Amino acid sequence: MATRRPLVLGLTALLAVGLSACAKSTSDVQNAQSTGTAGGAGGQSGQSVTVLVSADTNIQDLWTKQLVPGFTKANPGIKVNINFDLHGEHDAQNAAKLAAAVKGGKDVGFDVIDAGFVTQAAGANLLLKEDATTLPALAQVNKTLVEAGKGYGVPYRASSVLLAYNTTKVKTPPKTLDELLAWIKANPGRFAYNSPKSGGSGQSFVTTVLDANMDQAASDKLRTTYDKAAMAGWDKGFAVLKGLNPYVYGKGVYPNGNSQVLQLLSSGQIDMAPVWSDMFVTAKTNGQIPASVSSAQISNPSFTGGASYLGVPATTTHKDAAQKLLEYVLTPDAQAAIATQIAGTPVLPLASLPADVQKKFEQTAPETMRPTYVSEVSNDLNNQWDQKVPGQ
Amino acid sequence: MALPPIVLILVFVGLPIVTALLYSLGHTGGLNSVTATIAQHQHVATSWWGTLDAYREVLTNARLQRDLALTVTVTVVSTVAVMLVAFGIALYQRLSDSRLAKALAVLAIVPMFIPVVIGSWAILLFYSGTGFVRTALAQIGVEGPVWAYTQTAIIIGSVWTSLPFAVLMISSGVQAVPDAVIEASRDAGASLARTVWSVILPMATVPVIIAATFTAIGVLGSFTVPYFTGPNAPTMLGVDINNYFSSFNQPQQSVVMAFVVFALASVIGAAYVWANFRTAAKAVR
Repeated sequence: MATRRPLVLGLTALLAVGLSACAKSTSDVQNAQSTGTAGGAGGQSGQSVTVLVSADTNIQDLWTKQLVPGFTKANPGIKVNINFDLHGEHDAQNAAKLAAAVKGGKDVGFDVIDAGFVTQAAGANLLLKEDATTLPALAQVNKTLVEAGKGYGVPYRASSVLLAYNTTKVKTPPKTLDELLAWIKANPGRFAYNSPKSGGSGQSFVTTVLDANMDQAASDKLRTTYDKAAMAGWDKGFAVLKGLNPYVYGKGVYPNGNSQVLQLLSSGQIDMAPVWSDMFVTAKTNGQIPASVSSAQISNPSFTGGASYLGVPATTTHKDAAQKLLEYVLTPDAQAAIATQIAGTPVLPLASLPADVQKKFEQTAPETMRPTYVSEVSNDLNNQWDQKVPGQ
Repeated sequence: MALPPIVLILVFVGLPIVTALLYSLGHTGGLNSVTATIAQHQHVATSWWGTLDAYREVLTNARLQRDLALTVTVTVVSTVAVMLVAFGIALYQRLSDSRLAKALAVLAIVPMFIPVVIGSWAILLFYSGTGFVRTALAQIGVEGPVWAYTQTAIIIGSVWTSLPFAVLMISSGVQAVPDAVIEASRDAGASLARTVWSVILPMATVPVIIAATFTAIGVLGSFTVPYFTGPNAPTMLGVDINNYFSSFNQPQQSVVMAFVVFALASVIGAAYVWANFRTAAKAVR
């Protein structure tokens, strides 16, 4: 989520958009010349669909190595182009481009969006409506996750935040939020969470503390609607967070971004931190995090998790192909691929997935996941935290 | 013949500034309607010319007042430090022919060839809890300071990134002072310090001022160095602008802050204009 916008990258992205737009200007005739083999689908004829992926490299790999090959195998004749934006550095520009194109009734140049701004665009009527009638698989997906998509965004993978800890220093990890807060105070300087604006793991910690210190009904409301009255209940939670300043790493240092926290944890400068489940598993597999670091979920309340959403621009010229791609992504095959490639939590009920996937996600089943606030509420949370917690 | 460049500047520099100014005054229609569709907490114009509510909100916000103060402090301290170091290097290079003087001048230029992001990370790790400074000091039993994520780190980083340009600029000014003038001063019995103060510095005033204004404007609007190496709060306005724009989804407020930085930079820019006039006046004489 760290956003930097070097000019060169911007120009490269513009160039990429331009090129993909050229490549895509072929006619949209239905399977005019399906060659029958997946490899031959990229020719002059046939349908194509361009996916804008705004994420880290693990998600790029997920699309290029798993989802795209799987989809073209199931739907020969449809070519998938991936338009990749590392770390979502051009999210603001792409969101503006989407808004401008839809308002002007023009094709925006990408047909499926995998980016953080999908939920925002969903609220601004820029996407095609998606529900169980257009996309039957949605009926099986966790209701709260679907609701947070506002009827436009399609949740397709989830991840939750876990508590990671260094097993050589911490023998019995905290089991509840209260125990965790007590541990932080008993071990000054050994816990860190990133500023909520810079990454979801710190945001989840903040959200969890706020939830524990406010009315349950009000906090549930913030998961689906932007409600000012409910947000007024945050003050007590922010006071608790402010009280942690002298006890967190560096007496009040909040690193920028999920990965800076992981780095502190792996270099032994801290012993405990909230981390994204998928990032943690990937980093541990790659050896960036030593084997002595383990993770667990806390309870009462648990850390939040959230889904990543796909959206289809309202003015797309490749609606059918885009719809087919969404259908494919919500099949058990694709969901299992997500689980194995990036350790992402599937959004379909675990019962419909292979046994090894079921076992892996017992702790963070999508059915029991506590979702995050909707994006407008999260934006305000980022702002208020910045104002009320660090340096106070 | 001057028309195409003027049109280019008007379209790519003038027009965006005008639309941004209109947006900051609450005009959310027209070219600003795209941004305005997804922005939160906007102040919409109430009269024909707009509203100053967005400016009022930003300028009375306690956090932003604090960040503005930090921005000005960092700018002043970094600029003074850069000037002292750069002038020192330039002088040493001018007065000494030693290999050390040449090596120093080359070394001061090195940061120009290292991307700021990489440099910021390096500075962060160098002064972190497990960084070089503390590790080295620990060898002799001294507890070193942790400067990562502090204002000190921002200043170190700003000096680091601004030094090359200042050294190049000031060196060329100091090199241009003729040997004859320096020797005449020494022959007349002036001490070295006196020669520097009364002969070399006055003759290099214009390049020094140009270097100082460019350094100050650069530090004032910096983002990468404070974002990576500085504390979460207080932070510099460059970081706030980005936070408001992308993390808090309040583009109007970030545009207002940009105009505040613009106003500060114009004040510094006035010094640059004065220096240029002085050069031009000299050239005429």
